[in-house]
Amino acid sequence: MATLVMTRLDPQSRAARRGWSDLTIRNAFIIPTIVFLIVFNIFPLLYSLYYSFTDFRASTNAPANWVGLANYRELLNDPFIWANFAITAKYVIVSVAGQVIVGFGVAMLLNRSIPFKGFITTLLLLPMMLSMAVVGLFWKLLYDPSFGIINYALGLGRFEWLSNPDMALYAVAITDIWMWSPFVMLLSLAGLSAVPKHLYEAAAIDRAGPFYTFFRITLPLVAPILMIAIIFRTMEAFKTFDLAFILTSQPSAEVISIRLYKMAFQEWQTGMSSALAYIMLIMVVAITNIYVKYLNKVKER
Amino acid sequence: MTHIELRGVQKWFGSVQVIKDMNLTIEDGEFIVMLGQSGCGKTTTLRAIAGLETIDEGDILIDGRAVQHLKASDRDIAMVFQSFSLYPHMTVFENIAFPLRATRMNKDDLESRVREIASVLRITDLLDRRPSALSGGDMQRVAIGRALVRHPKAMLMDEPIGALDAKLREEMRAEIKRLHVKQGSTTVYVTHDQVEAMSLADRIVIMHEGVLQQVGTPEEVYAHPYNLFVAQFVGSPVMNVADARVSEEGGAVRVHLDPRDAGFEFPSRLLAKLNGHASGGLSLGIRPEGVLVSRESKAGYLPLAAHIIEPLGSHDIVDLQVGGGVIRARTPAGFVPRVGETVHVRIDPEQAHFFDTATGRSLGVKL
Repeated sequence: MATLVMTRLDPQSRAARRGWSDLTIRNAFIIPTIVFLIVFNIFPLLYSLYYSFTDFRASTNAPANWVGLANYRELLNDPFIWANFAITAKYVIVSVAGQVIVGFGVAMLLNRSIPFKGFITTLLLLPMMLSMAVVGLFWKLLYDPSFGIINYALGLGRFEWLSNPDMALYAVAITDIWMWSPFVMLLSLAGLSAVPKHLYEAAAIDRAGPFYTFFRITLPLVAPILMIAIIFRTMEAFKTFDLAFILTSQPSAEVISIRLYKMAFQEWQTGMSSALAYIMLIMVVAITNIYVKYLNKVKER
Repeated sequence: MTHIELRGVQKWFGSVQVIKDMNLTIEDGEFIVMLGQSGCGKTTTLRAIAGLETIDEGDILIDGRAVQHLKASDRDIAMVFQSFSLYPHMTVFENIAFPLRATRMNKDDLESRVREIASVLRITDLLDRRPSALSGGDMQRVAIGRALVRHPKAMLMDEPIGALDAKLREEMRAEIKRLHVKQGSTTVYVTHDQVEAMSLADRIVIMHEGVLQQVGTPEEVYAHPYNLFVAQFVGSPVMNVADARVSEEGGAVRVHLDPRDAGFEFPSRLLAKLNGHASGGLSLGIRPEGVLVSRESKAGYLPLAAHIIEPLGSHDIVDLQVGGGVIRARTPAGFVPRVGETVHVRIDPEQAHFFDTATGRSLGVKL
């Protein structure tokens, strides 16, 4: 079937004169990509799946012993791992909710004719374009209890943001909200500008107030694209590592990927950490699936 | 119940004035059609009444109360948009119920009101569908249902059937008329289609470049156009208009459309009514049905050659050569057998209109 769709090679072309067929050209483009994918994605995926069933430690020369589901059993029975998951869940909810509220709110403000709209939008997108490590480092300075500008501006004295166990996770979430709200804003702005203006006029004629119009017209029509933003941000927040790792070392802010990193590269429990990585993968896929199901329902309209 | 009045309304878009000193009174229960070419300001006027457009000067009164500073939602006016503007994420039921829900009506009343309006519009079986699954005509019905369901003070319609195909348009035209007769709500309807205007309106408002040209019943507008614009905009085929010169010879008055022709005979009392326009600056307007055509030569008829024949089934439109120009006549089907044939033509003085060429104003001559 696929070959039927392809157009024939022009007999006058250079490729044809070299004796190449259209199939040769197709393969020349596709095979390197497939090889790359297999070597760098599929192979490690399967290799780590194998290790997750063994007691392999990358730091020793001892051969890997097959232990079956023991790693999974141990991990899922470990209350400390579940504590990490709970911290991660809290982080995901706070961070994504914050991003949606701030991002959508700013998008609503920008979705009208204001001077320098394009310039303002570009400026607002800057945080998203910075490197995670850079953002982490300079927010560490901003949060600094003795000379940080945040305490100075808010008049909080020597408030400890990052070494306070109750605050550390929220401090990381605030940084994440600052960095990624523009992403939600960008997608929301696209969604908002796609709502036809005449629907708002019709709603005004139908005597709908501003709140009713927002909840019955604006929000349902932006929902599909907002949902895509939420899917992306949930996946990313679930996997968050760099920001949390750089900003704080508080156990109360130890999200699951930090636990994973410690397990894999500080404790060298390679087999165990592979199993944990697989548990995370399954969870992310499951959560994403819930959203995708909902998204498809929304799109059916 | 509802009486709408525009007083000295002015509206600019930048430096372009789109509504120029508009004064109009719309009586309760009246069906008003605003007619004009695109860009003449008719839609802007409608949107100004609805509250979707601000005005720069003047007053808009609904039931005697100035509303130009009120928001659309505070004017209690319903509107049907050209693009229908149905809410795509709601079912037909939810679309029609929207104006009631927006004002927090209780559930039982709401349900019965929606069902009632749906049965009037014959869309009861479509209530669970979404707008994307409807045909153009049904979308239109839903849009009208949404407008009617809350018994608004007035209905505004902005080319509501302009997007439909010809056959459906005719059907919906009859439907809108039927609904108006049944509901009796004050209606302002905007269109550029003069057939729609003639068939629906109690009174037609003709606009051109932001200026109100004439307000009158369809019959008045057709039979007594106030100026050349109205004369040529209303009626199909278009009224013949030509520069005319009047001559008098031994008591017989003749109107010449071309320097060389023998002239069409008119009663001698025409001369007195023209008020000095006889010598120049005069235009004669005559609708195709006012051009009388005969196959035999008769007294007072001019021999003219048929130039083009358009057969329309029920009748023919024949272009007749008058010197350098052409006048179009409406004849029974097949009356003029072929192009090139000479027929004998007269202008019915009772249906003739005379205009001042410079100002375009009708001279009001009635013979």
